[in-house]
Amino acid sequence: MRWLLSFLFLGLLGVAQALSASGNRLLVVLEELDDKSKYSKYFGDLEGRGFQITYESPKSESVGLFTLGERAYEHLLILPSKSKGLGPNLTPKILLEFINKGGNILLTLSAITPTPTALVSLLLELDIHLPTERNALVVDHFNYDTLSASEKHDVVLLPRPDTIRPGVKNFFKGDGKGGEVIAFPRGVGQSLGNTSPLLTPVLRAPRTAYSYNPKDEAESLEDVFAAGPQLSLVTTMQARNSARFTVVGSAEMLEDGWFTGEVKRSVGMGGVGTDAKKVKTCNQAFAKEITGWAFQEIGVLKVGKIEHRLNEGVRSNITNPKIYRVKNDVEYSIELSEWSWDKWVPFTPVAEDVVQLEFSMLSPFHRLDLAASGTTTNSTVFTTSFKLPDQHGIFNFKVNYKRPFLTNVEEKNTVTVRHFAHDEYPRSWVISGAWPWIAGIAATITGWLGFVALWLWSKPVPLKLTTSGKKIQ
Amino acid sequence: MTAATSDSLLKKSTGRNTRGLLRLVILCTIAAAAVASRLFSVIRFESIIHEFDPWFNFRATKYLVANGFYDFWDWFDDRTWHPLGRVTGGTLYPGLMVTSGIIWHALRALTLPVDIRNICVLLAPGFSGLTAFATYLFTNEMTTSPSAGLLAAVFMGIAPGYISRSVAGSYDNEAIAIFLLVFTFYLWIKALKVGSVFWGALCALFYGYMVSAWGGYVFITNLIPLHVFVLVCMGRFSPRLYVSYTTWYAIGTLASMQIPFVGFLPIRSSEHMSALGVFGLLQLVGFVEFVRAAIPSKQFGTLLRGFVLLVFAISLFGLVTLTFAGVIAPWTGRFYSLWDTGYAKIHIPIIASVSEHQPTAWPAFFFDLNMLIWLFPAGVYLCFLKLNDEQVFVVVYSILASYFSGVMVRLMLTLTPVVCVSAALAMSYILDSYLTVKSPETPESVSSTADSSVSGNGSTASAKKAAKQEGGLRANRQPLVGIYTLFSKISVVSAMTAYLLIFVAHCTWVTSNAYSSPSVVLASRLPDGSQHIIDDYREAYQWLRQNTAEDAKIMSWWDYGYQIGGMADRPTLVDNNTWNNTHIATVGKAMSSKEEVSYPIMRQHEVDYVLVVFGGLLGYSGDDINKFLWMVRIAEGIWPDEVKERNFFTDRGEYAVDDRATQTMKDSLMYKMSYYNYNSLFPPGQATDRVRGVKMPEVGPVLNTVEEAFTSENWIIRIYKVKDLDNVGRDHASAASFERGNKKKKVTKRRGPKVLRVE
Repeated sequence: MRWLLSFLFLGLLGVAQALSASGNRLLVVLEELDDKSKYSKYFGDLEGRGFQITYESPKSESVGLFTLGERAYEHLLILPSKSKGLGPNLTPKILLEFINKGGNILLTLSAITPTPTALVSLLLELDIHLPTERNALVVDHFNYDTLSASEKHDVVLLPRPDTIRPGVKNFFKGDGKGGEVIAFPRGVGQSLGNTSPLLTPVLRAPRTAYSYNPKDEAESLEDVFAAGPQLSLVTTMQARNSARFTVVGSAEMLEDGWFTGEVKRSVGMGGVGTDAKKVKTCNQAFAKEITGWAFQEIGVLKVGKIEHRLNEGVRSNITNPKIYRVKNDVEYSIELSEWSWDKWVPFTPVAEDVVQLEFSMLSPFHRLDLAASGTTTNSTVFTTSFKLPDQHGIFNFKVNYKRPFLTNVEEKNTVTVRHFAHDEYPRSWVISGAWPWIAGIAATITGWLGFVALWLWSKPVPLKLTTSGKKIQ
Repeated sequence: MTAATSDSLLKKSTGRNTRGLLRLVILCTIAAAAVASRLFSVIRFESIIHEFDPWFNFRATKYLVANGFYDFWDWFDDRTWHPLGRVTGGTLYPGLMVTSGIIWHALRALTLPVDIRNICVLLAPGFSGLTAFATYLFTNEMTTSPSAGLLAAVFMGIAPGYISRSVAGSYDNEAIAIFLLVFTFYLWIKALKVGSVFWGALCALFYGYMVSAWGGYVFITNLIPLHVFVLVCMGRFSPRLYVSYTTWYAIGTLASMQIPFVGFLPIRSSEHMSALGVFGLLQLVGFVEFVRAAIPSKQFGTLLRGFVLLVFAISLFGLVTLTFAGVIAPWTGRFYSLWDTGYAKIHIPIIASVSEHQPTAWPAFFFDLNMLIWLFPAGVYLCFLKLNDEQVFVVVYSILASYFSGVMVRLMLTLTPVVCVSAALAMSYILDSYLTVKSPETPESVSSTADSSVSGNGSTASAKKAAKQEGGLRANRQPLVGIYTLFSKISVVSAMTAYLLIFVAHCTWVTSNAYSSPSVVLASRLPDGSQHIIDDYREAYQWLRQNTAEDAKIMSWWDYGYQIGGMADRPTLVDNNTWNNTHIATVGKAMSSKEEVSYPIMRQHEVDYVLVVFGGLLGYSGDDINKFLWMVRIAEGIWPDEVKERNFFTDRGEYAVDDRATQTMKDSLMYKMSYYNYNSLFPPGQATDRVRGVKMPEVGPVLNTVEEAFTSENWIIRIYKVKDLDNVGRDHASAASFERGNKKKKVTKRRGPKVLRVE
């Protein structure tokens, strides 16, 4: 009986291990279920990683993201469809609701089939803009595939993306050796709004690429939608609740043909690639990374134990007290783990980055770097200790760690910092400045006692009355 | 009533006993009447804490009872003034709570477990009985007529001026402070009369108790020195005065400094300087008296003049230097507003915004004191007739208190005791003169008896004056006048009786109609005359208690802070302890600004819910829209560039909420929260605000950053939940517009150069 149970557990563990951090139910929306075969390798990879895939057509009645008000799936993959809308079950409102409830969406676009208006307005809400022309695609006359698009220049070849700025973890650079090529066939470029801090481009177009409408007969382009690195080919948006929304500009790059196909690059700017050879694309590996990120298989942070305690010479045994006193010495530690495909591993920030702790009331009184003080099998413990400010109030220990591609960590632990109690001040005789006054008190007391003694022990002289009635002694 | 008249009726020793017993019975009856007349609210409504401040006192008392004295003393309250917190233990007058705590423990020790709430509710009536007794003692020091004391006691017991702050449930500092005030004055008079250290020390101890109970102790701190100063100026300096004052000052100041909230104020703030100054003056006068006894009078005159000038110069110089150096705090705003009633309105709107800090309206004097107010001058005049040290006190007290009660409504409370005492003096004088069956004897025999009896009746008093001050005022040298006819006696006595009866009726009526409403619960009459209770406040606070997180922060105007803390048990941003003007101004700014401005403020202060009071549906005039201008003014005091009172008035200078309302008004969060969805209650275009009596605009306001969470039955309380930031990073207006189904407009052409995105 017991071995049966343990087998059951092992089985469960096996299932659990191969999952994303949030769950494994994936809904794939594609118009013709037969198109499935085009992406067989991609879906095979996903199933191999443990996803339970449900395929639905947007037209079908049964497609629904929610059952009884709860999410029916953790992840949603939308493949291009020819119809103008996605039907009443996948309106922008419902999709946004799906994100707000923590669901992840991977949206693929294609220049061949125009993007449904529902998706365009959803993207607009997220401050992601698509070209106004329905058939616009990304072309590059310097970085195209000579084998498949020697005429149209619409299969753009790119290297693996660099880190977008220092201090950001790059999940998409493969093994980091370089020389790999991503093929981006007939894709739609996006331009990102300037204000939203939640948007991050993963793959940006090369300097010479631009968005172009093939239907346009004109010789020269008057108004380019976007060009160069402003044109994002793969965009990510991580909502405040860490739900992920990813836009892949070209659905075609996920097809079997481009997973295994070979490409040969054109001659680029400054004669780069004159001696180019046929190479295999790395689309499969890149697709795995993008999908893995989109479906929360990588870059997911988890907060473990948070502890703060009094540490005045001796560490107090009481963890997380509700109240401290001003000028107390305290110690704070937070445990962070990172989900990497199938397990929690200790989290380490990249070289230029550091996790910080704020001790704040209205505004931060302290902002301190947290140092890694130890690791467990699947987490790192970050610690710092400091002296509380000389200000009473309701303070927060706040770790506000929000980085592109990592889930948001916002941990707030509220504590009260009280004033000195009446018996916590130093006594008067300890303060040297008080000695004159203490001496004064002593002098007054002795003087008074002396006066009383003098009064009590001096013999009174009897009063005599003079003739005028005046008293004399 | 006098000894002379009663002696014939009763034997000497038994007579005294009978009268003593009778007096005791009368006093007990008075105390019972005082308590009973304060129970209207308990009988009509229930045993509930009233108004605003009492809710804090009640909460503090519960904390004291639950956590013990030392925790209470060092109490840091993290559920008010979020996120600043309040050092409550060090910023309150603990006397009230400690008194209730002691009573609670005492009753428990007597195995009478009484709910602390009931003690708090009934504390004020209980102490009013004691006040009546203290008034009796005080009045007896003023006159020998025992009827005056009893009359004063009964006046004090039922005078509406005092009842206004001491009905059952009005658990405020004044509840015990008035008793302490009167009793301290009694002890002071006693000390002054006897000249004993013992009575002076007792007076100081009760003064200390008073300091621990009420901020109005400053009144005593200034009145006693003023009395002493006047006495010295009148040439009535005596060793008795010296002993009693110095004892009181030394011990009393030390006692008052034990209260953390008072701390070093007695030696640093200007309000306490008069006591210190008079203390110094007494030393000088004492010294001068000593010198005078030692040296000839001619030299003494020169010496005195030089000495006085020197001392004056030195002390003035010292005072000015210390004030500029910051050692002595300059006068506070509340103090200035005592002299210039317009001061607060201009400089400190937060003080002016409190209704009880407004100048008193004249009818209030009659309303609160009825016939006492016209007996009062007569009583003061009687004090002039027989001017001893203690009568000077009554005169000084009545002048000072009359002025202050005219400046601030709440200071009516300090006037009431002296009015009762003076009025009782006058009334007893009249009654003593007329309520006697015997006709006066012939002038010769009357003047002889007048010397023996100390006060006598009306005719003998003037006779005695004449006898005493020979060659005094000519007015005193007129022939003796007495009341001989029974008719005049009967008519005057019956008139006075009628006045007294009307007084009782008036007091009862005022107490029952004006001062017995808990203001937490509103009562109204239905068309059929039956009473209808409007219980929106408690409904809303109960909702907060049941439906919000334990530490959900509630933002509301400060008036409701104590009630939210007490009834809903939720942290608040500001409350009736208005110690931090900036924090209140912050709330004012959030209420009076646009949503886009208010939202960051609310997020910064971690506000979860916003509570507004709206009376438009019911016609409840004490709502937030009517208080709104104070919020604007207070906010303008801190942010004159961002909040402007002018923008809330129409071009014609009207404060309007209907179609004429200015854009600033319509955009303000307070306006929006008050009238949100209000239209839906009425047929289209029919929405009416019953307080302002205007028709509301066709289209109601739109709210983006907050959402309606709760509205009470009569719409008096409306609670809004502050929305979280949008999950996908939009601003609230566009998120709300998306929710309503509006499509975002595609930006087709941007003007000017494209703004590039930089990673």
